[in-house]
Amino acid sequence: MTNCPECDASVEVGAMIAGEIFPCRDCGTELEVIGTAPMSIERAPKEAEDWGE
Amino acid sequence: MSSAGRLGLFYTILRPEEKWLLAAASARGIPLEPMHDEGVLFPIGGAPPPVDLVLNRSVSHVRGLYALRCWEGAGVKTVNSADVTERAGDKVLGSLALARAGIPTPRTIVALTEDAALRALDEIGYPAVLKPPIGSWGRLIARVRDREEAEQILEHKSALSSPTQSIFYVQEHVPKPQRDLRILVVGDEPIAGMVRTSSEWRTNAARGATTEALPLSRELSDLATRAARAVGGGVLAVDVMEGPNGYVVHEVNPTPEFKALQGTTSGVDIADRILAYALEVARA
Repeated sequence: MTNCPECDASVEVGAMIAGEIFPCRDCGTELEVIGTAPMSIERAPKEAEDWGE
Repeated sequence: MSSAGRLGLFYTILRPEEKWLLAAASARGIPLEPMHDEGVLFPIGGAPPPVDLVLNRSVSHVRGLYALRCWEGAGVKTVNSADVTERAGDKVLGSLALARAGIPTPRTIVALTEDAALRALDEIGYPAVLKPPIGSWGRLIARVRDREEAEQILEHKSALSSPTQSIFYVQEHVPKPQRDLRILVVGDEPIAGMVRTSSEWRTNAARGATTEALPLSRELSDLATRAARAVGGGVLAVDVMEGPNGYVVHEVNPTPEFKALQGTTSGVDIADRILAYALEVARA
């Protein structure tokens, strides 16, 4: 269990792994799993100029 | 461990495509190690890397390219290779490769300054399309209708701090139906295609284009295969427009998304085909 960096709500990442994007259930902010041991989340990254296919 | 050795999936965001690749590996009983691109270190000349082949799915062209170079430098096999990724991920290098192979492409001029870009636009004729060399999803692409608009757009682009925004890739605006065609080539085989239709001039699925299955004619299959080979081959999405004089290839994408394509495709498990190709490369 950790907390949303935007609204501080408790967030459970369950079986997710680093790089998964999900919305905070309370405030809807897009969050990214950074690590699972220890559990760490951040706001999801914004598209960078070189992102693409 | 499989006979193909240890496989890694290098990624930025775990999208459906990456989850399908992991599931395909799991279904084949092959370990595929997820490697989040934010956490990997590359000690130069250090300990051997923990994998024998890396399947690159990073959404960052620059990050992916440096990572591929580091792995290849350490003897790790890659899909796609750094050379292919560099060539196909940069519109200038991609166009050079396509032109060298005689693939029909839209008329394109590269300019290195704002003034030269204006001259290039005048020469191409209006409307024209101005694209950054790197990037996709239709981002920062402009359709330029006349010289006045060109001057305004170029001024805005020059204000951006990125050096690659100051390299101007000027392309003819191909008069085409409100759609384009995408064909995914894996190895030497076109495995699926789709038509992307949009009410706006950019027909990227990422911009909300609607998609439907594209039956692959021999002509399209040959063109896509030649285009993929032109940039070095691998897992490549070839984008084709229907111009007044026939098909033109405007892009070859080295880390293709395939969620929309899989949605229009039946009978082909795209993730499994990509994985099978990676296994072939690993065993070669």
